[in-house]
Amino acid sequence: MTKIYKTLIAILLAAAIAVSCSKDVPVDEDGLLITERQECFVSNFELLGSDFVTVRAAVPVIDTTAQTISVTVLFGTDLKNVYPQFTLATDCKLDPKVTGRTDLSDLANPKKYTVVSGNRKIRKEYSLNIKFQ
Amino acid sequence: MHFITKNIAVLVVFSTLLFSSCQKDEYVVPDPVSDLTNDCIKRTIGPNIVSLPIEFAYAMAIPKSKGKLVSAQVEASIAGATGTYLEHRSFYTNTSGVDVPVTVGTPSSNEGKATKVSFSVDTTAATLRYFYVIPEEARGQSVTFTFTATSSNGQTVSYKMGPYTIAKMGIKKNIAVSNGNVAYISIENMVAYNAAEAAANASKVDLVYLYRATPTTFTHALVSPGAESAYLPGVTLPSGVNRSSKVRKVFNLQDRNLANLQFGIYVDDKDLQEVDLTDAPNYALGLRAEAGTWVETADKKYKAYIFLNSINANGSAVISMLRYAL
Repeated sequence: MTKIYKTLIAILLAAAIAVSCSKDVPVDEDGLLITERQECFVSNFELLGSDFVTVRAAVPVIDTTAQTISVTVLFGTDLKNVYPQFTLATDCKLDPKVTGRTDLSDLANPKKYTVVSGNRKIRKEYSLNIKFQ
Repeated sequence: MHFITKNIAVLVVFSTLLFSSCQKDEYVVPDPVSDLTNDCIKRTIGPNIVSLPIEFAYAMAIPKSKGKLVSAQVEASIAGATGTYLEHRSFYTNTSGVDVPVTVGTPSSNEGKATKVSFSVDTTAATLRYFYVIPEEARGQSVTFTFTATSSNGQTVSYKMGPYTIAKMGIKKNIAVSNGNVAYISIENMVAYNAAEAAANASKVDLVYLYRATPTTFTHALVSPGAESAYLPGVTLPSGVNRSSKVRKVFNLQDRNLANLQFGIYVDDKDLQEVDLTDAPNYALGLRAEAGTWVETADKKYKAYIFLNSINANGSAVISMLRYAL
């Protein structure tokens, strides 16, 4: 009798473990967690030069409705070799990814960056407008 | 019951094996030196640049019963430049923290590649410093050193150090530049010219040092003569001075040999070979003290790292540079 009880308990334990370890974790193609957040905006923007010191002349003006970021850069900034840094809402990601040195020297055609919300359903395209001091 | 006693027995056997195998060896005092012995360490670190010294500390000792030290000698594979010497004094640090020298030998003499000191007092142990000033002939080569000590009982010991590679870079420290005066910098000659000298050496002038109070972000700048006029406000260049060099601003790179500050970072041959300045601008504005710039000359003959040691609000600065011939 005791032997039957022991095997039954062992089977139940194994079943419980198997079930508890198969939770579904939603992850997108970059390995980032997909949450339920719908917020999708840029909260801050920083631009660093080749020496990793800021080249912004003033605080950037971010218009969330018009979806533009207006930055004034210091006189003599070399825009071919800058490092942009976006601060996004919680769980958002940026498309295209900023991988390092970026060329933002084409002032007539402002570069566009898309912010994707936490639940990956909302996409907003921001336009980066740069002008010199 | 039988099952339990069997397990305990196994446990006891295993634990005794474990404890007996972990016994440490008794500490044994090492044997004292019985003959003339020596040791050597290299005290300088970073790249070995021509005109800078390589410093060694050479220690030698003999038991008092065997005799005393007679001489110490260093032979380098390439003769050292003027200023190469083997210290003839021993140092100890006193209670105030000051290193006090004690003369133990005659001042060193250089004969070709060898530098020698003869002991003038009875010493059985000494550590002498050796300063080898890297000569121009050693640029890009390898240098080895042989340290030798002799004692009164006829014994000789030697210690080989090296080979050490000597950098291909050249160094020039503390070049004073001032706005509108001595402002024309030549990388090839590692010097700053005034307007008249710049006109005479127009093909060698790579950068102009400027200071402008407005715009407030201009301040101290290194601009190529061939840059746009917006970056050369109010400047009349001497005739023929029109080269355009590639300049990239850097911060937080206080090379130890140029800056001599508390940072232990060095720029070596490899850094200057590998820095890629193809899309760099030809000017650098808003330079602060301790800022640096990577520069490549217009004729692609040299790459350099220029470091700003200090700046003055009246429109002058002190720069130092490392130059690498491509």
